[in-house]
This record gives sequence, C-alpha cells and structure tokens, in this order.
Amino acid sequence: MNEQNHIVQAPLDERIQQLLNSSIDGEINAADQEELERLLATSQSVRNLNKELRVVTRLLDELPEIDPPQYLQDAIERQVSLPVQSKAAENRLGYFGNWLNANWLRTGFALAAGVVLTIGVYEMGSGPIPAGDTSSMSGTIARSGVTAQQGVLLDRIVLDSELLTGKVELRNHNDLFTLDVQLKSDGPSEVVINFAGRGLEFDGVSSPQGRADAVSMVDGSIHLASNGKQHYKLNLRRAAGAGHVTPLELQFFASSQLIQQNEMSTSQR
Amino acid sequence: MHKDRDAALVNECLCGDRKAMSQLVSQYQRPVFNAAYRILGNMDDAADATQTVFLKVFEHIADYDQKHKFFSWVYRIAINESLNQVKKRRTQEPLDDSQASPWQGPAEMLDSKRICKRVQAALMLLNDDYRTVVVLKHISGCSYQQIGKILQLPEKTVKSRLYSARQLLKQTLQDEESGK
Repeated sequence: MNEQNHIVQAPLDERIQQLLNSSIDGEINAADQEELERLLATSQSVRNLNKELRVVTRLLDELPEIDPPQYLQDAIERQVSLPVQSKAAENRLGYFGNWLNANWLRTGFALAAGVVLTIGVYEMGSGPIPAGDTSSMSGTIARSGVTAQQGVLLDRIVLDSELLTGKVELRNHNDLFTLDVQLKSDGPSEVVINFAGRGLEFDGVSSPQGRADAVSMVDGSIHLASNGKQHYKLNLRRAAGAGHVTPLELQFFASSQLIQQNEMSTSQR
Repeated sequence: MHKDRDAALVNECLCGDRKAMSQLVSQYQRPVFNAAYRILGNMDDAADATQTVFLKVFEHIADYDQKHKFFSWVYRIAINESLNQVKKRRTQEPLDDSQASPWQGPAEMLDSKRICKRVQAALMLLNDDYRTVVVLKHISGCSYQQIGKILQLPEKTVKSRLYSARQLLKQTLQDEESGK
C-alpha cells in the first residue's frame, strides 16, 4: 500500500464524492450545494460518508504546526550567496582587489599556505593532537563549538551494531566538505577517515564535548577516538587545483574490532 | 503570501540586498519546513530539505518569473526537493517499521498527540502524489487552483487525487480503529 495506493472499497458514485469534497473544501457553487443537500436529505449512506470525510479533513487540519529548528534561519542565511552581491563585492575590492587577484600573487599565497600546512601537519606528527595546541595551529584544527548543519547532504552511513551505533553524514557546500560524526559505544571506539589522495585538505575539526584531544592524524587519515558518546564535525576542503574529489573511506572500530568499513560519496546522487 | 511585497523583496535580492533575502527566508522557512516535514515525516530530513530549498531559490532567483506568485515557485521547489529526499531515502535505507505503520497495539486514540502521530503515520502510507496534494491543501492551506499551479497539474487532477487520498486516509484510520 505504501507505493501504490488503491481504494479497495466499491467505487463510490463519482459525482457524490466530488460534491462532498468540494463542499468540505468550501469550493462548491450554489447549484452543486443544492444538489448535495438533496442527496444528504435522502440518503443515509451519503450522510455517513459526509461525516467520515469531515472527520478525516478535521484531523488533517488539526495537525499542529511544527516550529522549525532555531538554527535553521541562520544556517540558511550563512549559506546563501546572492549572485549580484558577489559581483558588487568584487567591485568594492577596487585596486587592492585587482592586485590580490593577480595570478602571481595568488600562486605565492598558495605556496605560502602550503608551507604553513605542511609544517602544521609535520608538527602534528602521528600522535594525538593535544587540545591545548589545536587552537594555535593556523586555525586549521579544532574550531570552537559545532556549527549548525551546512550544505547539501551527499551521503549518510548508519551504524547499528551491538558495539557501535549512530550515524555519519557528509555534506558539501562550495569547496567545503563536512563530516558530521555522531556515534555511541559502550567501550572505546575509533573512526578512521582516509582522505589522502582524494583531492581534499584537512580544514578543521570540532567537538561540542571539547574532545579535540582524541583527534590524531596518521598517514593522511584522521582518527577520532572516543569512549561512549562522540560528536565531531570534521571539515575537509577541496585542494587548490583539485578537480574531482573521490569518495572517502571510513573505518569504524569498537573494542579494537573493525565493525564496519564504508565509502562515502563526495558527489550528489 | 503578498505578491507585491514578495516581488519587491525579490528585486532587492537581485540587487544583492541580504536583508531582503533574510526577510524572505523568515517569511517562508516555516511553511516550507512544515510542508517538508509532513511529506518526509522526520524533523532532520525536513530541516535538510528546507535548507536546500532556500539555497536553490536564491541560486536561481534571477530565473524567477515574476508573472507567477513567489510562494508558488518556492513551494514547487520545496515539494520537488522533499520528494527527491523521499526517493533518496528509499534507495538508502529500509523504511523504519514505526514509520511504516500507524498500528501500535489496541487502537484507542487517547490524546491529541497520539492522534497526530497516527494521522502522520497514515499520511506516510499514501503514495507521493496523494501525500503531496494533502500536504498542500491541509498543511499549506492552498486552494485547488494554487495546488494546480504549484504542481503544474489540471485542477481536475488535483481534486481527484485529493478525494482519493482522503478516502484512503479514512480507510486506514478506520481499519486501525477496528484493529485490523
């Protein structure tokens, strides 16, 4: 019944149904209203049907209005870029903007950013990223607080094993890919996100529980460790010059066992 | 749903005015969210759909034809986006049993919350075409004509879908009450 709804009762006189529904919806003309009144006066079955349909209609009309989540308006506004405004902003940059737009300078900035990032990642080594250090690393690690959901949902993984439950969602907006990891385990658990060679760069991770100390990077993979509930937002950015971003590879461990291994699509289906 | 005010706000958006954009979002996010929620039956998915709707609206605002009502255009995008999400979800995960069936034991509608839950569950059993017209009629408060414009369907088809949908809802709720 879910996909193909069929009415299994004997087909009701189409005309009666039309009159009843138009009347219920207040979209009936005077002549039809008269005709319906005559039918109601003479037929018990029409009266019953009228009553039943009115109950259904009332139930539908009485469904309460739901308050949208409070973050929604803000989240939408942050993501919207008005087409003309970007042009206006370009114009406002004026001479300095044009100067910044020069190819040679952009290349220089890209190189400098690359050096900073390389040093940052090198400094991170392969051990855990200490919470105290994360905020000072050129803004690349651990931003404060988890922001509202952003971007178009590209893929979702649902975990429902005895040892580990929860979900991971991947969203995209412009060049930013955000992984929202919400998991729950009874013992220690770890998520390994392999993004090396996929056209993405690490752009930050945050956790409302302030658990940035459980984040580490090993050989191009981010490791998010936890014991109990974990909620992380990991930002990855399309690398400069990278055209196609290939799917991410995720592994989920709980109590030192590999629970699940998935690929997450980085393009809209 | 004030055509002139909406048209003025759209024009301001086209000039890059973010305040106008904010006003349009503020005005329509609630009805869009509610329509999406009743089609998708889930708050998170409805919030996702609402965000995507507004991103699409403002991405294509220059293409909006001001001969038509702005809300009709927004609702059309909202309905399409919600139905896209329904399709995506169907391919991704099996329907949760609690969502699939309104029958949860001996059927006695004890309180309004429970009734709403059952009506929503019955709504989720309708096919997408039927559910969409019911949502536009009873949640969004659109007339037959407006629904026809939003869905780009003749009024006759709107009416017939709405009648059939109500008949099915009636049947589902009655079956539930009789414990079938």
